[in-house]
Amino acid sequence: MTHTFKGGVHPNYMKAPEIPMTVMTPPPQVVIPLIQHIGAPNQPLVKKGDYVTMGQKVGANPAPVSAPVHSSVSGTVVAVEPRPHPLGDMIMSVVIENDYKDTPCTDLPPLTEEQLKDSDAILERIREAGVVGMGGAMFPTAFKIRGGIGKVDKLVINGAECEPYLNGDHLTMLNYPEQLLKGIELVRIASCVDKAYYGIEKNKQDAIDLLNSLHPEKYGIEIVPEEVKYPQGAEKMQVKAVTGREVKPGGIPSGVGANVVSTRTCYAIYQACYEGKPVIERIVTVAGSALAAPVNVLTRVGTPFSYIAEQCGGFVKTPRKIVLGGPMMGICATSFDAPNIKGTSGVLFFTEEEDRHVDEPTCIRCGKCITVCPMNLEPVFMYMYYSKGDFENMEKYHITDCFECGSCAFNCPARMPLTHAFKTAKLMFQAKAMKEKAKAEAEAAAKEAKK
Amino acid sequence: MAANQETKERIVLDVAYQPQVRTIRDTRRLMQDVLIALLPALCVAVWQFGAKVLVTVAASVSSAVFFEWAYRKLLKKSNTIGDLSACLTGLLLALTLPPTAPWWLPVVGTLFAIVVVKQLYGGIGKNFLNPALAGRAFLLASYALIMGNFSVPTGLKGAVDGVTMATPLSYLYGENPLPAYFTPQALFIGTVPGAIGEISAAAILLGLVYLLVRKVISWRISVSFVGTAALLTLIFGRGGDHVNFMLYNVLSGGLLFGAVFMATDYATSPVTLNGQLLYGAGCGALTVLIRYFGGFPEGVTYAILIMNLCTWAIDKGFHRHQFGVTKEDIAAAKAAKKAAKEAAK
Repeated sequence: MTHTFKGGVHPNYMKAPEIPMTVMTPPPQVVIPLIQHIGAPNQPLVKKGDYVTMGQKVGANPAPVSAPVHSSVSGTVVAVEPRPHPLGDMIMSVVIENDYKDTPCTDLPPLTEEQLKDSDAILERIREAGVVGMGGAMFPTAFKIRGGIGKVDKLVINGAECEPYLNGDHLTMLNYPEQLLKGIELVRIASCVDKAYYGIEKNKQDAIDLLNSLHPEKYGIEIVPEEVKYPQGAEKMQVKAVTGREVKPGGIPSGVGANVVSTRTCYAIYQACYEGKPVIERIVTVAGSALAAPVNVLTRVGTPFSYIAEQCGGFVKTPRKIVLGGPMMGICATSFDAPNIKGTSGVLFFTEEEDRHVDEPTCIRCGKCITVCPMNLEPVFMYMYYSKGDFENMEKYHITDCFECGSCAFNCPARMPLTHAFKTAKLMFQAKAMKEKAKAEAEAAAKEAKK
Repeated sequence: MAANQETKERIVLDVAYQPQVRTIRDTRRLMQDVLIALLPALCVAVWQFGAKVLVTVAASVSSAVFFEWAYRKLLKKSNTIGDLSACLTGLLLALTLPPTAPWWLPVVGTLFAIVVVKQLYGGIGKNFLNPALAGRAFLLASYALIMGNFSVPTGLKGAVDGVTMATPLSYLYGENPLPAYFTPQALFIGTVPGAIGEISAAAILLGLVYLLVRKVISWRISVSFVGTAALLTLIFGRGGDHVNFMLYNVLSGGLLFGAVFMATDYATSPVTLNGQLLYGAGCGALTVLIRYFGGFPEGVTYAILIMNLCTWAIDKGFHRHQFGVTKEDIAAAKAAKKAAKEAAK
């Protein structure tokens, strides 16, 4: 039986895992945005003029849904001010002048033997080390695992890496197999389950063989080879492929007793627990036709994109877009000064070559969007009702169930901006709900006042 | 560093919507694939009816492209002839005409097809009738005599006297018995009289295989169309040999051509998967109904046009459940609805 899901597309993968991982010299100045996760924003813990060590916590928030941020270099804080954020907007950031000494921080000692067997100790460390979903979602991992304890009986580790271009997970498997398995074991212990299922797409056969040769069963792990298809790495598709369970509409995987943790997150957890190292670096695939050749490089969090481009050989063509993450779900950065953050798995400098834009997209009703939608939706009608602003029918066609994988728009011969429209529609629904809520509250208040 | 800094300043970043990559296949490539799939049928036509059919085809294609261009030019709309859809409409229409058709016949047909059926409703993707078929229906109603004038194919020269002859289908539903030279093999290869593109089942099936391999169309509409027609003619067959009757029904007339190239037109067929099955079945059933009880021997054109009109309703009816909704969920929702109804009573 092949492990997979219904629908999906086969983009041109453009992967280059054969390029060995290099380590990038840290930049003279790093920019650490205080928001690198989903949830409550961090408050700065340092001020201008402070000396910080590598791995020192520079921002935190006591709220449960949050993850602290750490300095990725040692040096002096030169500013705490709003700076361009890779996901758009200006966000409060800590700017640190690198002294190139990499003086380590000793706040997080490696966990002891007993602690490594204790769910609470591991979760506490995961939180303190600022581990978030490093596949790109950046949801605080400790909160996710804690919320699943007792409910989750199937732990799924995501090693699909179905997005084109990206090689980070693949190279992590090849370069640190043992550490990775230990990291997965930690997640398994923290989740209080007996077994973890590691779903890996078959285009990484060398990694599957290598991991299998290291006796994953010793760590309570089973490797599940999966069909190569986008979006295999989406949470819901991963759960479906590995466990056969379907997450309910509007629900999350733990609703059907599954939790999904990405490869790179497991490795970060290994580093946090065994080495006492917070999330201050990550492997990034730098590619795109603006560069001479793709590069797989280990970068410090907070490295500006202009510096990354320069270190990766500079531009041979003028870039038009900076795509963060993979090209299917990745969004565009608005500034060269924005830094990479914990969730940045790829930095793609695209020129007009990758662009297949048309000026006047016209739907030809071919229905090719319907056949590829992994969520069983009907994008052609969703788009039609979206253009009309028909909320009732948008809801009837479950527009809010779209998780924006981009398969429909990728496959659209007419080049309709489908995913973009659904993203906007979802925001419109959010705004509408908020408005209704405010209205109801105002009415209730008015009633109260009358009394 | 300095040089890089400078270029960086001047670059205006595009913040385009996702996905950032698209499949290479666009509308033009799809249309191109259908045009390629029609080539075998065209080749058989040239072999059987001579190079003069190329004049009809050329007149049809060029007039279709011209009308599309001229209409959009006059109304100051964007030029869309590059998507090749007008080209395809022209070729499809030409292939449904008899080989004796004068050069002006397709010109009149494409004028109706492109301007009235397609462009007046907004152009590609917005028409609710198949333009080529509607054009053919228009010609059938206006020039019934010319449209029923089928010349003798090369394969039957010598066996038949005269210049024109009746099609196998008209014998099948007529008084006279089927002549011996209309063997199933002849119908399969295409040595029979008929419209330019419809005579050879082999050529059409070759086109179907190409379309399926290139994933231009799915099997659903074509298979359910032909399957339904075959099943009905098998069950309600005439004459002694029902299997033979079924075979002649499937191979003769425009049934295969309609099922492969006409019923599968994107804009006018359902997009929902189960809807496509129903639509195909409807086309097949209507074709048999018209052939059995209608005034014409041929029923494919009107069957497809009628089903075109039902497409919207079919799509609405086959709205599918999203990922994560199980059969139990659907049953529970139904039960809840029922209970609410009863409670209201």
